[in-house]
Amino acid sequence: MSELATTVVTSPVAGRAVPMSEVPDPVFAQAMVGPGVAVEPAGGEQEAVAPVDGTVVTLHPHAFVVAGADGRGVLVHLGIDTVKQKGEGFTLHVVKGESVRAGQPLIRWNPDAVRAAGYSPVVPVVALDAPAEGLSELRIDGDVTTGEQLFVWS
Amino acid sequence: MADERPEKILAALGGAGNIIDIEGCITRLRCELQDGSVVDEAALKKAGAHGVMKMGSVVQVVVGPEADTIAEDIQDLL
Repeated sequence: MSELATTVVTSPVAGRAVPMSEVPDPVFAQAMVGPGVAVEPAGGEQEAVAPVDGTVVTLHPHAFVVAGADGRGVLVHLGIDTVKQKGEGFTLHVVKGESVRAGQPLIRWNPDAVRAAGYSPVVPVVALDAPAEGLSELRIDGDVTTGEQLFVWS
Repeated sequence: MADERPEKILAALGGAGNIIDIEGCITRLRCELQDGSVVDEAALKKAGAHGVMKMGSVVQVVVGPEADTIAEDIQDLL
């Protein structure tokens, strides 16, 4: 396996890594759009950062997809059902189509506000359309910091 | 080649007359329908849906990362 075929996916937020199966949404929990891990974010207003180098191919106030040059897209969803918040409390720092580096702040948000609104602030990080066996070194427990490795996509 | 998914998905959701609201959310279509019972789950899956979740008149169709585009195409058909 060449190194080029491997993508290291890092955490968009600080918090506690949890298995995707614990996310309270069947689309993520059953890996319908791909496998990955989730992060239960620490509280307080904060920046969600890019998990990989690439292009912002999809951008919503509460979620985004960054695709690398190889076309692999990583979906980051800030909380569950947060589309219903209509962008309130989410501040975008980038536009769709922009090139970003892993670790670059993309969206400012507050998991406490999401929780207060009655939603789970858990952040699924999904390797879109990847086969489950394509991921390795998954973090599924313990504290993670922003930018720390969550899994390797090969 | 034209993408046939929007038309097929719309038909499986009961047609334009059954749609109150449809919006794309990254990987899924969130559909608010007049009547959720007429949804043809098998046809949705045949049209490429990874999964379908029904909660009464609200139906979520998981179509993958192109959900936003598909939702826009369906809106154009309404």
